[in-house]
Order: sequence, then C-alpha cells, then structure tokens
Amino acid sequence: MQWVKEEVRDELKSGHRGPDESCQYHPCHFDGQDCSWCFCPFYPCHRPELGATVVSKRSGEPVWSCVDCEFLHRQDVSRAARELIRGEGIEDPDDPRLAGIFDELIARFNTRAKALMVLGATSDAGKSIVATALCRVLSDMGYAVAPFKSQNMSLNSFVTHGGDEISRAQHLQALAARMEPDHHVNPILLKPKGDAVSQVVVEGRPYADHDVRSYYEEFVPGEGTAVMRRNIEYLMRKNDYVVMEGAGSPAEINIYHCDIANMGAAKAAGADCILVVNIEKGGAFAYAYGTIMLMPEEDRSMVKGILINNMRGDASCLDEGIKELEGRLGVPVLGVLPHLDLKLPKEDSLGCRDIDGEGAVVAVIRLPRLSNFTDFDALELEGANVRFVDDPAELSDADMAVIPGSKNTIGDLEWLKGKGFPEKLRELKGKVPILGICGGYQMMGDRIDDPLAVEGPAPSSTEGIGLLRLSTVFDSREKSTVQVEGEAPGGGRLRGYEIHMGRSDRHGHAPLFRLKNGDGWRDEGCLDEEMMLMGSYVHGLFDLPAFRAFALSMAGKGPKDGEGDDHDDSVEEGLDRLAEAFRAAVDEDALLGGMLGALR
Amino acid sequence: MSSLMMVGASSAAGKSTVCAMLCRLMRRRGMDVVPYKTLNLSLNSFVDHDGGEMGMSQAFQAWACGLEPDCRMNPVLIKPHAEGRMQTVIAGRVADGSGLRERAFAEAMGCFRSLSDEHEHIVVEGSGSAAEINLRHSDIANMRTARATASPVVIVGDIDSGGVFAGIYGTYMLLPEEDRALVKGFIINRFRGDASILDAALRRIEEETGMRCFGVMPYLPFRLPSEDSLDMGAPGELEGEDVRGAWMDNLDRLADEAERSLDVDGLLSLMKDSTA
Repeated sequence: MQWVKEEVRDELKSGHRGPDESCQYHPCHFDGQDCSWCFCPFYPCHRPELGATVVSKRSGEPVWSCVDCEFLHRQDVSRAARELIRGEGIEDPDDPRLAGIFDELIARFNTRAKALMVLGATSDAGKSIVATALCRVLSDMGYAVAPFKSQNMSLNSFVTHGGDEISRAQHLQALAARMEPDHHVNPILLKPKGDAVSQVVVEGRPYADHDVRSYYEEFVPGEGTAVMRRNIEYLMRKNDYVVMEGAGSPAEINIYHCDIANMGAAKAAGADCILVVNIEKGGAFAYAYGTIMLMPEEDRSMVKGILINNMRGDASCLDEGIKELEGRLGVPVLGVLPHLDLKLPKEDSLGCRDIDGEGAVVAVIRLPRLSNFTDFDALELEGANVRFVDDPAELSDADMAVIPGSKNTIGDLEWLKGKGFPEKLRELKGKVPILGICGGYQMMGDRIDDPLAVEGPAPSSTEGIGLLRLSTVFDSREKSTVQVEGEAPGGGRLRGYEIHMGRSDRHGHAPLFRLKNGDGWRDEGCLDEEMMLMGSYVHGLFDLPAFRAFALSMAGKGPKDGEGDDHDDSVEEGLDRLAEAFRAAVDEDALLGGMLGALR
Repeated sequence: MSSLMMVGASSAAGKSTVCAMLCRLMRRRGMDVVPYKTLNLSLNSFVDHDGGEMGMSQAFQAWACGLEPDCRMNPVLIKPHAEGRMQTVIAGRVADGSGLRERAFAEAMGCFRSLSDEHEHIVVEGSGSAAEINLRHSDIANMRTARATASPVVIVGDIDSGGVFAGIYGTYMLLPEEDRALVKGFIINRFRGDASILDAALRRIEEETGMRCFGVMPYLPFRLPSEDSLDMGAPGELEGEDVRGAWMDNLDRLADEAERSLDVDGLLSLMKDSTA
C-alpha cells in the first residue's frame, strides 16, 4: 500500500481543496463534500462509529473498512485538520503526532450528530416553532444543524431546488439552521386526498396511496421504518445536531407501537426528548403529566425536559403548578416561552380557522382583544369567505374590511397603529366597504377621550383612524347592555344587542340603522354610502338577512386593490427574533448545559 | 332536582357543545332542563331580556332547552380587557371592589339554587381545564362548583387536537382524591374515522382510572356559536335565514348523532339529587 502513503504525503503538503467537481467520482459521499482528504491520513482509526473491521475477500484477512465515513469530508472538520497539521508542520504520513491531532478533532467535532426530539402534547403545542428556534440557536452557536421530521401530513408542501416535495415547516427550519433543504429533512409527506386516503410522498417523490389502516399496517412496519432510519442516519453523519420534530402527540396509545414519527424516530436516533405543551389551550399540566406517564417506562426516561409554550402575561403565576409537575414526574420544566407574534410563514394551525366560502372575501382584523367574533358566523349563510387577519397586507385582496368589537378600544387602537392598519384602511377607503363594529366603530372616528381612565391606567385622549367624523368619550363607567331591534338600511329587519362603554357623537354622517326606542325610533351608527364606510354599536347585525345583503352587495361593487406585499424579507428577522426570545426564556443551564453541552 | 357536570381536559374540548347537546336531548325527551355555568372567561357575551350580560354559550344552551336566556345561567362573566386586567360581571352587571372571587361564588351558588327551585334538571358546564394545578385554590368554576352542587362529573376531551388520552388521564390523575370520587367518566369529542380503532386505548384509560367511557362523538362540521376565543370561526356548515334558527338546526343534527354515539341513558342515570 505504498502508493496510498505517497498520496497522503501529497495531501499533507497541499492546501485546502474544498469540493473537487472535476473528479469523475464527485460527489462520492454527498453534495458539498470536502475532497481535501481523499485518502485519510488517520487510517486506520478503529473508531466503531466511523467504520468496522471486515474480512477481505481478496486476502481473507481482517481489514479496517471506513467506506461510509464522512467525518473528514465535512468542510469544517477538513479545515480544522489542515490547520492542526500545518501548525505542527507534519509532512510525513507516519508521523506519530497525527494520532494526537485525530483525537483533538474527535473531541472538537461530532463524529455523529447529537439528536434532539421536540415532542408535542397536542398537535398545536408549538413543536414546530420550538424546533425552528433550536435550529437557529444552535446554528448561531456555530454548529452544523439539520431539521428532521420523519412524517408530516399537510397539503402545504414546498418544492426544493432538487424538485423534492417537503413540508413547509421543515423548509422554514432549514432556513433557521442555515442549510439547504432536501428530502432528507422530511422523507415522508402525507397529502390527504379525501375519503381518508392520502398520497404518500417518499423522499420527495410520490410513492403510493394509502388509507389509515394500510398505512399503519403495511407501509409503516416495512418501507416506512426503513425510510425513516436511512434518512436520520444520513443527517446524523453530516451534522453536529439533528433537531427532530415529532407529529401530533407521542402518547396516542392506540397507535403507539407503529408510530415512526415520535418515539420511534427518537429511539432510532438516540435522541434526547423535550415535551412542548401549549399553556394557552388549558390543561397543559394535565396533558404534560398524561403524555409522559402513558409512555412505556424505557421511553419515559428519554424525556429530559418540558417546555411550556405560548404564555401570555406573567409566567410567575405558573410557579406552583410547575413545582408540583416537576415533583410528580421528576422531569424539569426547562422554561416558559412567551406568546410570540412573529412574521413567519403560517403552517396548518388547529387554533384559528376561517370560514372558507366561495363568495366575497371579508377580512376581519384580529384585534388582540377581539370581542364577539360570533358576529361573523352568519356570513357563512351567504357563502362569504371570512378571514381573521393581523397584517395590513392581508387586506389587499379583501372585498370588505371589518374592524370588529374589542374589549379594549384604546389598547387595540394602539396595536392597529403599530401594525400600520390605519394607513392601509385610509388607502382602501372608497374602494371596498369598511365596517366597524362596537370598539371598531369607535376606532374609525377622529378621536377617543378617556378622561376617567375607564380604558387605560391613566386618563387619555387618542386620535382615531379618522375614517368617520365621529368622536367617542368614556365619560362614565356605566356599561350599556341592551337588546335592540329595528331597521337595516334600505329596509328589512335588524336584531341584535349592544354591549359597550363610552358614547359616540357623529358629525354629519347619516345613521346606519333605525332602532326601536320605547314607542318611537332612534338613529344608530354611521353610514357614508359613497365612501362605503359603515359603523355601529350593534352586535349580531348580520344575524338576519337584510343587513347581510346590504353590506355584501356593497362589497361586490368596489374595484380590488390587487397588490400583495412581499413578506419574504421579514422571515430572517422573524427567525432571529424567535431565537432571541428562546434564549431569553429557556433555562440555559438546564437546556444548553445539560443536553446541548455535550459538545462544548 | 338533579344535575350533571361536564368539565374539559382543555379549554376548547367541546364542553359547551356537549352541554348544549345534552340540554337538547333532555328537552326532546320532554324533561325540564336548564343550563348553568358558574364562570365564563370570554369576550363573546349576550344580553338577556333584562339587560343582564352573560356568556353566549349559556344563551345558546337556553335556546336548546326552549328557554329564554337568563343571566343566572351564567352568573360570573370575566372579560379580559388589558394585560392582566379583567372586567368582572356578576349576575349580569359589572362588579368591582375587593373580595370579588368569594362574592362571585356566593352569588353564583344563589343563582344555582334559584334555578334549581324552578327547574328539575341542571346541566352544568365547567370552565377551561379542570386540572389547572397552579389555580387549584382560586378556581371556582370547576371542582369547587362540582363539590358545592354535588354534581357527578364527566370529562370531555378533544381528540382532533391530539393527545386526548394523555389529557383525560392527566386531568383525572392531577385531581385531589376527594374530587376524583365525583368524576364518573369521560367523553371523546370530535373523532374523525372509524372509532373501533380506539377500543384498546379506551379500555386502558378505563382500567387505569376507573372512569367509564360514555362514548366517542364524531367530528361533525356543523357551526355553533362558540364562546371560546381559541375557537375563532371554527369551520362548518350553516344554512337558513336567522342564524339562531340555523344554530338550532345544527344542534338537532348533533343531538341525533349523540343518540347513536353516546350512552345517553347512562349519562342521564348519573344525574342524582343535588344538595346545593
């Protein structure tokens, strides 16, 4: 084997080579491999995780085989090896100092990635966002990171540069990890086709159709398990960390034995598991306790921590509950993540769903203190498409914009201003109908005065959006709660109820409704037909057909503003903010010191 | 007078709907039934004929019983309006001052008693999850109401959002022993597919907790007025002129399904004399 020694001698003397695309065998290991060490200067290392002793077919002798080793083909490892060898001035392949350099490389880099599995107690626990945060945090620390989710059910797929279909969530995680995504990060994608049948996409390409039973009975035990294992293995060899995401809950005890998305994958990778629970949904402690206790004992011990997600307000109110949970389970709570409002691409969410009608698009601004969203149920009767939006850009293709009721008019008005809604609404004025209900009606006016600090902590005077000549004052703590009946514009019955504090004076606008008042009538609300502006205190205003017809016929008139704003630029910023929030919320000693610290 | 209480493993488990369904089923059997929920944490409210403010879900349940909504059916309504600030409505009117919790609970039990004087059966709804161990001493809406009204309790769990076995098991296990004695069973809500694949798992939860499974409700895409802010605009069909009529038609379709999927007689036999 003298010629190999000579090749190594040449390599020791030459410079960093990077990927050698001119080589006829390139890439013999993986895309982006480093070809500086085509022949390994550390052969034979006899490290079991990098190779194995096999019996040579030619000689019948035992020989060290490392054909699948990719350690020295990683760019970072390759460069470090070069620097260390240069530093020592080694040029001889038999130099005994090479062994020490190899030990140092092994100590500094992972020969096989460390795997973390992010499990969720429920589908919408926030696994995906936590895995995204971990990808960015680890990437920021300088590690090579890959996301992984063995199986994803979604209709929202993404197509990679290589033409592979993967889930959107793993694509976002790949961006967070600063790696180019390919099918390895999501090797099984299930796309529901209806009638409980899904198209199974394997490694980016359509593979077969399965129903639930045949998927779990035929695909999962055979091909599915093999696909999961080989893709995990691939990523484990090329990275310092693989951040895995589970699917649904890991404690679905009816399918536990054939679940390759949660503990099945975690076991294949030897992953440390974190359980994420969504505190906003209620029952988070019960779900955390039940999820861990329903697992078999050997799996339970793989769960190293619990993350409480989506906390609004002061987390210290959870202290007592956290202490009891930790005591009962013997698993630490690693942190409490606050509710985050990030501009990141949305994935399928079970949390809030809109009405998917074919008709007019009604965009309802999702105020933080939105009240009485039942007002919009009735629009389904007209086949409307009701969406709750929190970004002004989402108003662009709406046929009607609604500012709904709010439990805190002034606070939510500030939120609207911070988001840039007033500018967008003024731009849409005269193009599409704009309706304000209750608090939203108050916001549409010129100003809101709160001399008694009914709404905020101190007396205030706030400028409104200025769509209506209307001023509102909270001059008493009296709350008006009354059922009303009357006439919609153009005639037809109206029925609803008012719940509000404050009173509004309109200056010059026609009223929207005529309401019965004892034996007589009173005018209520504002209507500017030319500018298509409407405002009222009446909840339930869409309940009966007359006002639905009036508002929606107006929505059919206006020309649409078709320009959508581009969100892509904000993704990077969102990922950085997410990582920052994660670092701030999670106990670094518990998480980074315990689980991630192995590599430091 | 007899009562039965539904509590949730999570906030949007479907308690309100299951209670409305039960109200409707009892009404259809000619029973004199009234809905009740000690405390609603919600921004979706309704106003009764006297101007008393109450949760939308109890207004809907009242219609299901063939009754006019009455704010005694939901004596405490809490409306969060700023970070950490709430408006408290007691017996239909805004209340302030100190010691609100105990005042609210005393007032609520008064409302419960006055409803029980007028009606034979009360369907009681809990609030949020019944096992918030950080709130164990301040929660008046769930097990404290169950104890005070001596209502047998059934846990409702939402299978659509995942982890329902863990949620139901965990809810039961985290309750103190005296409360567990009141909890008789559970209902799985919003299941899609063939329920027989759940059998083994349901048996295991029954064996480990001693609770009984009263059935698996299928996921049905019928829209009802949801009061929970998490469930903003849940998808579903709605048809007709007046949305209240459309909601009630949908409830009747749900009740028809409940007759097939739930052990309704078993649930009714749980109701027993209340000592409130």
